[in-house]
Amino acid sequence: MTATALESQLIVGATLFILGVIGFLTRRNLILIMLSAELMLHGVSINLTAFSRYHGNPQGQVFTIFVLTIAACEAGLALSLILSLYQRRKSLDIFLWGKLGEDDLPVFSGSPAPPITVTVDPNVDLPHLTPAGRMPKTQPGPQTKT
Amino acid sequence: MEWNEENGLLLIPLGLGCLAVWWLMPSAKQRPRILGGLAALAAILMMQLMLLPPAGDYVRNVLFFLFAAAAVISAGLMITDRNPVYSALWFALVTLAVCGLFLLNSAPFLSASTIIVYAGAIIVTFLFVIMLAQQSGTATSYDQQPIQPAMATIGAFILLGALLFTLQEWGHIDGKSTNQHAEPGQFIALPEGIQPNPLSQAPQDNPHEIGSLRVLGRSLFGDYLFAVEIAGTVLLIATIGAIAIAPRRSQGTL
Repeated sequence: MTATALESQLIVGATLFILGVIGFLTRRNLILIMLSAELMLHGVSINLTAFSRYHGNPQGQVFTIFVLTIAACEAGLALSLILSLYQRRKSLDIFLWGKLGEDDLPVFSGSPAPPITVTVDPNVDLPHLTPAGRMPKTQPGPQTKT
Repeated sequence: MEWNEENGLLLIPLGLGCLAVWWLMPSAKQRPRILGGLAALAAILMMQLMLLPPAGDYVRNVLFFLFAAAAVISAGLMITDRNPVYSALWFALVTLAVCGLFLLNSAPFLSASTIIVYAGAIIVTFLFVIMLAQQSGTATSYDQQPIQPAMATIGAFILLGALLFTLQEWGHIDGKSTNQHAEPGQFIALPEGIQPNPLSQAPQDNPHEIGSLRVLGRSLFGDYLFAVEIAGTVLLIATIGAIAIAPRRSQGTL
């Protein structure tokens, strides 16, 4: 009946998923990270349709349609996020966003971020937040940094 | 020792594949890509020998191996290419190959919609953003310096090995398995006591018609009507969110 073995399709799906994981972990381009996530979704979709074919009911394919819907949502949101991130730093490098704190705040822990090569005044229009962990100044006066 | 004899054969293509992906990763100094390509080819061939089905429809098997090899090779090239534009195009090839696999799984509607959504919408918009962001056309420095390629590759291939060993324990990928019988304890056994909706079953005279619009639509709008409504709401919210997040023209265009 079904000549193509279920296990072969599961192996192909697992391989695609793993390649997507590798791409997700290693690439530094924001867009390629999103594409690797879509690759993982492809591997899962192959699994779902293979089981659907094996059991002879359409539920796996219905789930794949939902996966498609969520992938479309994810792509739209990711593209708008990437565009607004690109507008701030003029680069798609993910290392530029390794440190999300403000530059004038002391770094409390963690390894130092890699040097930012692009200096385009990144904090020009970011909201300036009150530093966490310290009481904000109640008296108006010159701000002293610790 | 017993375990080695039974499962040790899987380690060779896994190791070769791991080595190939690591070798093909973009790095500061140029490595000859042909070596990585040969290792990847050897790994795929060994896996293919392991998956060889016993008998059956010859054309279907050939098509399956064709599409599967195209999908895996394109995926490998996608995550290792230096140029993001080429990576997006390789991803389009992966999508086409996966759609071929969908067709073999008797899902023609799903195949067509995947091509429309992925190749027609997602890849085009991703390419649009890549070309907008990197107008110089040359590969940038951050595309040639992956983050910890050795660690990521080894970890991911250990995960793949775990998946394959589990499959071999349960599903016996030794070339002798057939799809006809689901033994108890196997992952392919049907659950007991759960009867599917008879309206969303494939007709008895043609059990391969599970991907037709009739069966799929009955299942989608019969069994999963609530989920369809939720998915529509998620799409609407994502649209509103994307419009809200996207940079305004007044803030300066790209």
